[in-house]
This record gives sequence, structure tokens and C-alpha cells, in this order.
Amino acid sequence: MEIVNRHLIHRRIAVMKTVVYCMILGLVLAYGWVQLGLRREMQRLAFSQAVKTRTVPAPRGIIYDRNGNKIVDNRRALHLVIQSEDLPRDPAQVEALAAALQMEPETLRKRIQAIRQAAGNRMLVLQDNLDDPALARAEILRARFPFLSIEVAPRRVYLGQDLAGHALGYVGEVTPEELAKNPETYQLGEIIGRSGFEASRNDRLRGVDGQRRSLVDNLGREVAVFGQVEARPGRSVYLTLDAGLQQVMKEAFGANSGAGVVIDLRDGGILAMYSAPSYDPNIFLNRLTQEQVEKYWGNPDRPMLDRVTQGRYPPGSTFKLLVALAALERGLITPETRFTCYGHKVFYNRDFRCDATHGTVDLVQAIAKSCDIYFYELGMKLDVDDIHAAAEKYGLISPTGVDLPHEAASRVPSREWKRRVKKEKWYAGETISVSIGQGANSITPIALARFYAMLATGGKLLTPHLLYGVRPDDNRPMELFTPPPPKDTGLDPRIRAILDEGLFQVVQSGTAKDSAIPGLTMVGKTGTSQVTTFVNRAHYATLAKKLRDNALFAGYAPRENPQIAFAVVAENAGFGASNAAPIAKKLCQYWFIDRLKKPLPPPSAKIPDEFRTDGEGGEEP
Amino acid sequence: MKERLRALDTSLLWPMVLLVVMGLLTVYSAGRGTNQPHIWAKQAVWTLLGFALMAFLAGVNPRRIFRSGLFLYALGILALVAVLVAGQRIGGAQRWLGFKGLTFQPSEVMKWITLLFVAHRLGTRQPQDLSGWDLVQTSALVFFPMLLVLKQPDLGMAISFLPILALVPVIKGVRAKWVALTLALVCAGGVFAWHKVLKPYQKQRVMTFLDPGADLKGKGYQINQSRIAIGAGGLTGQGFTAGSQTQLNFLPVKTTDFVFSVWAEERGFLGVLMALSLFGLVLTRILDTAVAARSASETYFCVGAAGIIALHLLVNVGMVIGVLPNKGIVLPFFSAGGSSTLSYFLGLGVVMGVRHRAQVK
Repeated sequence: MEIVNRHLIHRRIAVMKTVVYCMILGLVLAYGWVQLGLRREMQRLAFSQAVKTRTVPAPRGIIYDRNGNKIVDNRRALHLVIQSEDLPRDPAQVEALAAALQMEPETLRKRIQAIRQAAGNRMLVLQDNLDDPALARAEILRARFPFLSIEVAPRRVYLGQDLAGHALGYVGEVTPEELAKNPETYQLGEIIGRSGFEASRNDRLRGVDGQRRSLVDNLGREVAVFGQVEARPGRSVYLTLDAGLQQVMKEAFGANSGAGVVIDLRDGGILAMYSAPSYDPNIFLNRLTQEQVEKYWGNPDRPMLDRVTQGRYPPGSTFKLLVALAALERGLITPETRFTCYGHKVFYNRDFRCDATHGTVDLVQAIAKSCDIYFYELGMKLDVDDIHAAAEKYGLISPTGVDLPHEAASRVPSREWKRRVKKEKWYAGETISVSIGQGANSITPIALARFYAMLATGGKLLTPHLLYGVRPDDNRPMELFTPPPPKDTGLDPRIRAILDEGLFQVVQSGTAKDSAIPGLTMVGKTGTSQVTTFVNRAHYATLAKKLRDNALFAGYAPRENPQIAFAVVAENAGFGASNAAPIAKKLCQYWFIDRLKKPLPPPSAKIPDEFRTDGEGGEEP
Repeated sequence: MKERLRALDTSLLWPMVLLVVMGLLTVYSAGRGTNQPHIWAKQAVWTLLGFALMAFLAGVNPRRIFRSGLFLYALGILALVAVLVAGQRIGGAQRWLGFKGLTFQPSEVMKWITLLFVAHRLGTRQPQDLSGWDLVQTSALVFFPMLLVLKQPDLGMAISFLPILALVPVIKGVRAKWVALTLALVCAGGVFAWHKVLKPYQKQRVMTFLDPGADLKGKGYQINQSRIAIGAGGLTGQGFTAGSQTQLNFLPVKTTDFVFSVWAEERGFLGVLMALSLFGLVLTRILDTAVAARSASETYFCVGAAGIIALHLLVNVGMVIGVLPNKGIVLPFFSAGGSSTLSYFLGLGVVMGVRHRAQVK
């Protein structure tokens, strides 16, 4: 090689060296910028994707009956969710996920948006309560969409299924509307009571969600957990219900629609309440199909209506006790006042009928035989406003204050009511119908039961309630709930004694004598009311010709030392004595006799094992 | 044996050893908790084999190696064709020849063979005697295996053939018309490549490079995670096996393409400075050897070797920090992989042979 060339080439190699050094210097500058200049930003990014804070949903309180039998439990269920920190931002991914889940992309987008805007660390539940095949599918989805995760969350189990559907109610996710109204109270995605006791005592049953900070890898798998705020489970709650009595009531109704309620006269605790047809709250834990929605909400039998507190029925003859009470109190009649029944009588140019020709009867006989003519006569003496005032005074009108949501107020008409609602003046003839519990009378079974409880206790207005006690935590005993003190109506004991005698005669020799229980003096009044204003009009319109009367029976037992009061309505069952009274008889038979010998087993015994969990739920399996 | 060991150039050896040790530690850290936790051990075995191969070559007179250049070149072309015909397909690319469970990537060695052959051809004639036609022929010798590699497809590897062409300006000097011609060719080639050669995923990479923020969860994910890892390293690093990006798998392909991000995350800017300095030492020593070389072929080989290593360094280290497109190109001495590890030792073995001969004479 020539020296010149060699020299030239060496010079070029020197240039190349310089190029290499410049290149290395450039890399050093780039790394310096990222590692020294952007360090904080990059460390923040690294931290935020590796450290996740997740909500640990708290289980709701367990619900027991008054004897400590578990009737609502929790079990652990797996849900397919997206944690709020992992919500996908890429529209294409959202689209693909919606397709994979067979959802409307718009729906998914909206739900993602809602979680994104929500405070705290909520998660978007895409599929709940995964069973084994669903879990396998979810795992496959997770491989495709790494932002998905599978979380353990407690899930309600209603052990008695439809045993006390309306009393217990059911739970569901809080809706955006409720959230908007109570942003302080609820968190997005929270499971709250939607109806029944679950809703009315939601504050006691709900727990406090915990939080878990953990280190996750690129697939969102937890590598390590540091810092965990344990979820605080909701408090265990005891109901005044007796599961056995509830079972008896459920069986007594069978396929019949209607409502029944039994009140403990000591404190107003509800020993049993049943609205037929009932529902199984377990069903509403799942996302409902259109068919199910139709079945429960579009059903003419209205299974979602709690007939005990929201069903309003004409009280029929069970109302006569109030009319008698009003007349006696005002001195319009005495117990000895007699009227003669010829089977029918004309008032205000209209012929009013009685069920039978009772002849000349006094008040006790009129109650026992349920003579309408006697009470028409009282209706002639009484003004409708007097009846209304007595109903108000003795607790038949205003809601009872039962701890269930959306209790309906009962209605006993008045002049003011007619003017306000119907924009018409009151006709005296209308009072005739009102005095036998027809007309515009419309009373809830629970109000009726409380009225008879008032008669039983000599004038005390109890507050019916389901909450028996709360256990502050697992290590402490139950603390009894103190219901509001009963209000004394000042019922004259002499009047009470007369009415009590009348009720006694109903079962002893009157309309309900077939329902007498040997060795137990159950007293009560039958009622058979024409169906006029009951809520289920659409249904009745289609069955107009077959409109049958509602059967009622309300009373208390035992007469000497009343312990319980009850009201039973059997819809479209016909005559009260032969259809409602036997239900009341079964209730008393169990409560005072069978229960003491051999109580029914608690509902948990009927639940297959796979539905049961003994733990509190919420923690890792 | 002693002779062979003495042939090893300690000034080149020590920075190499340090880089290799750093690489092994990084691969160990990157492999933890993955489905190949023992990849570092495999890599250590390859490295030891590499050192043995290098020691062997260092003692061989480069002339003898140059003489078999044509034969090796033909063999290499055959191997590349074989890859296309009967190679193993892994992850959408057909790059490997399999034999009894072992896989071998001929393209790794082929770039060194091409360099060897081209350096030899150019070195046997005086620079001023090289005509334009000779340069075209030489370029064709480089482009032919490159195209075969592109066909696999392996764009990153194809690019690493390009430094061999850097010999041309070194030999003939840089002239304005050459620069203009090259630029024109590159532009034309680029347009041609975009429409006819580049696969959609490669185009995507280019687009991602031009706008990495546009698709953070998709194609830009790798670069983004890598930048986070590097940045989180800060000055002193998160500590050995303590980088969250690495250990929690946010960092992609962390034992090969993104191995340097692992180093940067766990050892910080000081570690990066150390590694780049060592690479600087290696390159300096190779270029010094090019100057000291006894023959033109040897000089050219060393220049090409420096070019190949410098290109890998630039493209890989630049890529993982996001200043160059995501290419799928490995970092010498760091990235795990048998074929590439052996090929670098092979190349540097020849360089050491050149050094040895220059010193002996």
C-alpha cells in the first residue's frame, strides 16, 4: 500500500472515530435528559402503573330472625371487572371488548365514563357471579384484554328464598340517579338495599369498603400486597320475624294472593309478614333478562308489590269496629242499643242489603253476626267526618311508621278529602257504605293489624317494626332495638270491653266460629269486601265478570292476655270467614301451640350446601 | 495454547469482559420471574464458547481467514437461502435454522462473513485502482445477503449489513457528488422500500417512531415502557433486580432488544455512562487496530467491524430511549442470544488476530 493512500485512509479512520465519539456523546445526552431531566415524571409513571389501589367491597350485615336463625347470608362470588385505574382509553379496545361481551358499545362507553368520573377507586362490574364456565371464559377474555380483572366480592344469599321476599327486599347496584341525589352517602357501584328491610335499614346493613394497595405486573396480576385497609362488614341484624311463623303463613296462603301480618303486642315487632305472590330476592342479584323483568314488573298479579304495607284494600266488616267505637265514644249508642234487621233497608231512597235477616240485634250481636243493617243505622247517626276523626285518632289513616320503604297511607274518606280529591261535596248516603267498610275506604293490612293491636292493648298505638336488634360486631352480644314508645289513644276501657266481647262472639258463635281453636281464645272480625279500589285494576278489568270479593280477618289472641294481633287479606277468595279466618287460625295454632312443642326448622336447613357459606365473605378465598 | 492467549489483545479484552459481565447480570435480572429464568446461564455458556472461539481466531493469521472468504461467503448465502426454504418460523419471521433442538441464525454470522469477503476483495487492490464498477460489484455483494435477510423478514438485521458499505468512503474519500448520489439513492430506496418492501408492521414502527404518543397502549407501548424504565432509573438506578419496570414485566423483550433499558433502570445514568464509555473503548481499540493493521484488507475489516458494532450500539441504545425507530436490533455483549453472541466474538477474534500480527511483526 502506498504511503499516501495509507495516510489518507488513516485520516479518514480518525474522522470515523470522531463520528463514533459524537454518536456516543449524543446517546449520553439523550440518556442524561431522560434519566436526569425526566426522572420525576418517569418515576411517577412507573409507580402509577405498578401500584394499584383497589376497593375491597365490604359484605353487608347478616340477617337473622328473632331466634338467631340465619335467613340472609353472604357468600363469596367472583366478578369480572375493570378497576377504575385500568379503564381502557383506546376506543378500538372498548369496541372490541363490547363485541366480546355482546354488549352495545355505547352502553359500555357510558359505563366506563361513569366510573372514570366517579370519586375513589370504584370498579366496573362487567359480569357478576361467575360460575365455572363463565370464569373460564372470563380468563380467556383477560388474556385478550389485560385491563380486565377478576375480583372476589361478597354476594347475598337469601336462605328462605321467597319465604319473606317483601319483608327482606333485595339488593342491587346503586343507580346513577340515586348517586346524583346522595353523593355523600353512596359510592358508584355500591350494592344497596333496593326494597324491603334491605333498603329501609341499608345504613345498618352496609359495611365500609376496604382498600388494598398492591404491586401489579403488566397483566394486572397482584405480585405483592402492601397496605390493606380491611373492609368493615355491615352489622349483623336480627329481625322481629319468626322464621317458623313466617313459614306457616307462607304455606297458609299457598297459591292465593293476599297479605298477612302478625304483630307482637309487647313492642310492635312484626312476627310474620307475607305478601302473596312473594318473590325470591336471590333472583334480583343477577342481571335480569327481559322476560324476568316482564314476569316480575309486568305481571298483572303484581308480585313486586308489598301488599302488607302498600296494598290498600276496602276493609269491609273489619271496619265496623271503628264505626262502633266512634258511635260509642260519641254517646250515639249504648251497648244496649238495638236495631232490627230485615235483610235490607232503604236509606236515602236506596235499598241497602244485609247478608242475612238478623232480626233485632244489639251491638255485640251485630259484630258477631256482622249485621250490615245495624251499621247502616250507625252511619245514619254518624257524620263521615266523625268516622274519619276516629280513624285518625285510632291510627287507621296515617302510615304506621313500619321500617319498610314506601309505606302507603290508608284512606278513610272525609268531606275535606272528597272536596280536595273528587272536587265534589259529600252526600250523606255515602256514609252508609263507609260505615260497613266499603265506599272510599282503603286500608293497608298493616294499618288494620295495628288498629286491632290497639283494641287488644286497650288503646296503645304501637309502631310495627322489623328491626329486633343489631350486633355491633361479632364479639359483642346483640343490642336490642328500642322501638318508639306506643302512643296512648285514651280508649275508654268500657268501650274496649264491649268491642272485645263482640270480637269474642265472632269466633265463639258468629261468622268465624269454624276457626275457633280449642284451648285458645282467638278473637277477631271477618270481612268480605267488594273489590272496588284495589290497585290491580288492569287485571280486574280483564276479569270483570269473575270479580270476587276479598276475604279479610283481623283480630288478636289470646283474649285474656293478648300477645299478638294480626290482619289477613285473601284476595278474591270470597267470604272472609271461610277463607281469611282459617289462615289466622293456622297462625295462632302454630304460635301458641305447635311452636312450643316443636318449632319449624330454620330456613337454612332447606338450602343446598353450595349456596351456604359460614364465613363473612369479602376476603380472599 | 499460551500463544493463543497471548494473542488476545488485552486493551480490547478488558472492556469486552466488563461489558459481557454487565450484560450477564442484566440478563439475569431481566430473566427473573419470567418463563426463562435460566436464560443468563445459557447466555454465560454462549459467552464462554465465544471467548474460546475468539482466542482461537486471535491466534490465526488473518490472511488464512481472508483466503477462505469466498468459500465462507458462498456457504453463508446457501445458509440464508436454506433459512428461507426450510427455516424455523418464530413469531411471524423465518430467521432460524434448527438442528436437534438448537437453533441457529445464519444472518448473524453472515454479516461478518460478508465483511470479511468484501474487505478482502477491496484490500487486494490499490484504492486508486478501484473503479466505480468495482464499487458497484462490492455493493452488490453486500446487498444480496441483505435482501435475503429482508425476505425473512428481519429489517434490523438487514440494516446491520449497511456499515460494511461505510468502507467505500473510507477508501475513496467523501466527495460531494458521492454524497449527492447516496442521498438520491437513499431517497429512492426509501420510497421504493415504503411501497414495495416494508411490511405493514415495519411501516407501523416507522409511524410509531414519528409519533410515539399516538398509540401508547399499542405499538408505542414498548418504547413508552422502555422510556419510563430508563427515566425511572435516575442517576444511580433502582438497584440490581429492583427495577419495577423490569421485574413487573412492563418492559417488553427485556432479555434481547430492550436489555439496555433494564441496565438503565437498575443502574441509572452512571451505569449508562459506564457502559457507553466501555463501548467507546472497544470502538477506539478496533479503529486503532485498523490503523495498525499490516494489510489493507485487515484495515478494512477492522473499520467494518467498528461500523457494525457502532451501528448496533447507536440503533439499539437509541431505539430503547425512543430517539430512533423500534427496530428489533440487538445490543452486542448485552442481548441474550447464541448466534449473535458467537458472531461478535468471531468478528472481534479476527480483529485481535490483526492486532496480534501487527505487533508480532
